[in-house]
Amino acid sequence: MKNKKKLIVLLLIIMTLAGLFAGCGDDSGDDNHDSDYDGEAVLRIISGSENSELEPILEEFTAKEGIRVEMTYQGSLDIMRLLGEEEIPYDAVWPASSLWLSTGDTQHRVKHAESISITPVVFGIRQSLAEELGFVGREVSVSDILSAIQEDKFSFCMTSATQSNSGASAYIGFLYALLGNPEMITAEDLQSPQLQGQVTELLSGVDRSSGSSDWLKDMFLEGDYDAMVNYECLIIKANEELEARGDETLHVVYPYDGLSLADSPLGYVDKGDDEKEKMFLKLQEYLLSEDVQNQIQRTGRRSGYTGISDENRDVFRSDWGLQPDRVLSPIKMPASDVLFECLNLYQTDFKKPSLTVYCLDYSGSMSGEGNEQLVSAMEQLLIQENARKNFLQASENEVNILIPFEGQVINAYTARGNGSELEALYDKVRDQEVGGGTDMYAAAVRGINMLKEYDLSQYTPAIILLTDGQSAGSISDFESAYQRLDAEVPVFSIMFGDADETQLEMLAQYTNARVFDGRENLTEAFRSVKGYN
Amino acid sequence: MKTKLIGLAILLVVIIGAVLYVVLSDEKEMTEINGFVGGEKIGMLEDEEIQEILRDDYGLVIDYAKAGSIDMISADSTGKDFLFPSNQTALELYIQQNGTPRKSEIILNTPIVLYTRSAVAEALLQKGIASKTDGVYYVDMEKLTAAIEAGTSWADIGLPQLYGSVTVGTTDPTKSNSGNMFAGLLANTLCGGVADESNLSEILPRLQSIFQKLGYMESSSSDLFDQFLKTGMGAKPLIAGYESQLLEFAVENPDTWEQIKEDIVMLYPTPTVWSSHVYIALDEAGEAGIDALLDEEVQKLAWEKHGFRTGVYDTPTDKDHFGVDGIAEELTQVAPMPDAATMDAIIKALS
Repeated sequence: MKNKKKLIVLLLIIMTLAGLFAGCGDDSGDDNHDSDYDGEAVLRIISGSENSELEPILEEFTAKEGIRVEMTYQGSLDIMRLLGEEEIPYDAVWPASSLWLSTGDTQHRVKHAESISITPVVFGIRQSLAEELGFVGREVSVSDILSAIQEDKFSFCMTSATQSNSGASAYIGFLYALLGNPEMITAEDLQSPQLQGQVTELLSGVDRSSGSSDWLKDMFLEGDYDAMVNYECLIIKANEELEARGDETLHVVYPYDGLSLADSPLGYVDKGDDEKEKMFLKLQEYLLSEDVQNQIQRTGRRSGYTGISDENRDVFRSDWGLQPDRVLSPIKMPASDVLFECLNLYQTDFKKPSLTVYCLDYSGSMSGEGNEQLVSAMEQLLIQENARKNFLQASENEVNILIPFEGQVINAYTARGNGSELEALYDKVRDQEVGGGTDMYAAAVRGINMLKEYDLSQYTPAIILLTDGQSAGSISDFESAYQRLDAEVPVFSIMFGDADETQLEMLAQYTNARVFDGRENLTEAFRSVKGYN
Repeated sequence: MKTKLIGLAILLVVIIGAVLYVVLSDEKEMTEINGFVGGEKIGMLEDEEIQEILRDDYGLVIDYAKAGSIDMISADSTGKDFLFPSNQTALELYIQQNGTPRKSEIILNTPIVLYTRSAVAEALLQKGIASKTDGVYYVDMEKLTAAIEAGTSWADIGLPQLYGSVTVGTTDPTKSNSGNMFAGLLANTLCGGVADESNLSEILPRLQSIFQKLGYMESSSSDLFDQFLKTGMGAKPLIAGYESQLLEFAVENPDTWEQIKEDIVMLYPTPTVWSSHVYIALDEAGEAGIDALLDEEVQKLAWEKHGFRTGVYDTPTDKDHFGVDGIAEELTQVAPMPDAATMDAIIKALS
């Protein structure tokens, strides 16, 4: 192209000039206009967490092509929201399902989207329990599963329907079943008091929630649960680990009237950069090549056009209930207006109310920018108008507790519901003075003690702890309080400033929770963590 | 002294550079034009052979963003040189909203077809909804529509492995062309002729109930077709698309096609409608696209590699190279689409 030739000529001129100067000046020892710097080849992809299992395959691509792939994991709904924003700071998107891609890409900036693999959303139920429930060796409907839950025969874990595709898919499946499998869910259906009662009851059987499918699997492996709703490929992954450590594996149940498929589309975000586009196409071609599709299939995903190959049948084990040859006949997703109405109702009416304790660091080191970031992050969660944009709005029965701390607990405030008390909590967050040392354990212990006043079975409880420094006190103080509580309450922490990651990891491990990194983007971290309860 | 020398040297380099610059620039001026394109034509615009002809013979580089045919008419087209939707209704809508464009021309044609799997095709044959003549599958639109309206389940027609009732998966008719045209085709079928304002009131509620059953719909034909192939018979038992999509897929992926051809069936609706891909030039730069795309060689490649029946290539002289069975030689049963006002009413009713 003409422009390129122009550029070459210009470069020639510059290089010749540079050469002249280099030749004339005999004191130029080290040439600092080295050609080493030519911008690293990197593709930044925002992806559903389930794809973290494919990282080894992406690393091979990097080794082969010299193009680094930088993965950022977020829920599919976050990806959908991001696609609607002015700036998309990624080169490609890879949500769990094309539903979120098409719904989000209203400005038509995504091109070359192609499905990389398929995996259905299924139930994984402990083998012996599945047998006991009579779910083995026959077709199971969502209603079968629901009645077992209603009879208290088992409880399950699922991701949040408003944050993650697997949770949303399962939830829509539940709605169909409870409505008696109509052709399509309508907005009127959702207003039925009978349905509302039933969904609420059903979701009260949810043991633990999560904002991401991959972490749900990790959490499941760390805890003691009966069942989870997740992608077939992640149940396979969980089973491989369960079997390796000699534990009982999960039996896969495909609810015939409530199945959904995640088709994992990888699409390019077009910002007019031809080089990036070429790199993207290279990656996509690589992922869709026969060899790599086969590797992807070995991770338990259904890839390619011709079903599961003979050599990979050992991955889709029939003794785990897997049906590699099953015709996967999914339910139809409602149109987006009804879908969003479903999601809003899940958040405000149907799911178990959250009981969230915010332990927030107001030590001296937080002063200035740290405190400003904290206040603006909390504004996104507590001010409902903001929260609603991310499907994080509070429900009527929700409880939010604020415990600001430094070297000791400063105070504790409780806000019930989603009205003025909650917004007043934000005023406390904003107006609290900063100063003093750091003892996050003291705050966490106070939080635990306050939780004792509630019937925790009626809530999804969590402690969200933000700290920016090495904490005084010790985890043993926390442990004894936690044991007296005798309930599983995850302590999610957000690492900020110079926080000690080991201290936070220990808390997370002890309570089967996880640590979020808020150093890059604190608001994002708070948003993610809120998606977990 | 030394600085003078350097000064001279710089001057020399600048002069040489300037001369080189002029010499090297003395070639055809390359124009890059940008516009919205329906997804089904992307394979063609990405075709290197076609790109080369456009570049070498017309000095043209076509850049695009993907958009549904209906969507692109209402989208913000600031900075775009052209729109390339997949039907004439889009053009009529454009004219209604913006007045006559600088220039417009039909570039490609392809009929609306249905795609399915062999087991489903077999069941449709058994039930008399489809028929087979000279190796070509035809589907009786009246019978198919009746089955859909009656809420017939897949199990009822002998496919218990499929959940739910008989539907045709389409793209969102309010956003994308293939869905839009299929809605037009259904409207024609429901009134037993060509739908117009006189029979709309009777048709619309029925049409709404057919589409309401589909729920969420893809907004691009190429995404729908990709999902049809990849998610298997269960997810997309029967979809509406363009004839060109399968022909192009077979040419581009001969090995994959070889593996799956036994299972994929193309059905021609009786009657069907033509999707006429019309190019709308928005400015002077965009106009150049028309001549370039109507180039005889481009048109030939459009058929051979991308499956579009073209103006110059009316009847497919050679269809064997696709390796696809059951391509209809010529389509005799074709109905006109309802006019733009009727289609507009249909789109509004389905929004």
